Amino acid sequence: MKELTPQDASLLELVDRLLNKGVVLAGEATISVAGIDLIYLGLNVVLAAVETIDKAQERRAS
Amino acid sequence: MTLLAHAIAASPPAMLSQDGLRGRPLAWSEAGDLGLWSTEWAPDIKLERPDALEHHRLIETICAAQPCLPVRFGTAFANPDDARASLEKRSAALHAALARVAGKSELALTLLWRQSPPPEPVESAVGPGRQYLERRRVQFAAREARRAFAESLAERVITELAIERPLVWHETCTSENVAVSLAVLVPTERAGERKAELERIAQGFPDVIAVLNGPWPPYTFARTD
Repeated sequence: MKELTPQDASLLELVDRLLNKGVVLAGEATISVAGIDLIYLGLNVVLAAVETIDKAQERRAS
Repeated sequence: MTLLAHAIAASPPAMLSQDGLRGRPLAWSEAGDLGLWSTEWAPDIKLERPDALEHHRLIETICAAQPCLPVRFGTAFANPDDARASLEKRSAALHAALARVAGKSELALTLLWRQSPPPEPVESAVGPGRQYLERRRVQFAAREARRAFAESLAERVITELAIERPLVWHETCTSENVAVSLAVLVPTERAGERKAELERIAQGFPDVIAVLNGPWPPYTFARTD
């Protein structure tokens, strides 16, 4: 099991809310994001953030 | 002109000096006594990863200025008339939701398992078919026990926080790491105090790591269905 850091969890919770919660309006058109389905956007956002966190930690360590 | 929706609020709109996403104009489309805050978008502009977080920051700004209902990210309308028609169609439900969340914010509590459950040994004297079935049975039982334990943690949080059930939402075991994902709707002026209470309660759970977030706009409680 890959460990989920508190930072990852925070971002996952937020992304989950942005993509899966909130008002759903009739007649909405879901925009694909750079050709990626929105469902995958969350994971990409998280992955990008994790990369950023990792780099920041590496910088602090060096 | 395409509109990328952010939040619904009652008219009159708050005075905002805020731009929309990527510095594009922020628009207000009014339908009766409701309106939609959105960014003037163009169909050929693709949304990128940072836009999702910018959408969140924009909703935070709007919610700080007036009660609002966050709209799911990625919702777009071909023109302002379509946006207005959508608001008019569900006006009663939107008003009810706005009344429910006005003056309130969302706190998020995530409980992460400290460690994976240890695999239970399966008797090696039995044949491979039996071993397989036994292993499956043990895994299923462990998963169910974990879920029941996670549910008991969520119940303890709700009971100790002494909050009404309609103001809480939770899920358990949404992934291998997550025991509980819980959201509570609290009065904004008491958010700090309630967050501290949540933290104190979660500190009493030795099997999980508590991650607290918010106050956030009331995403989880903005549903109209």
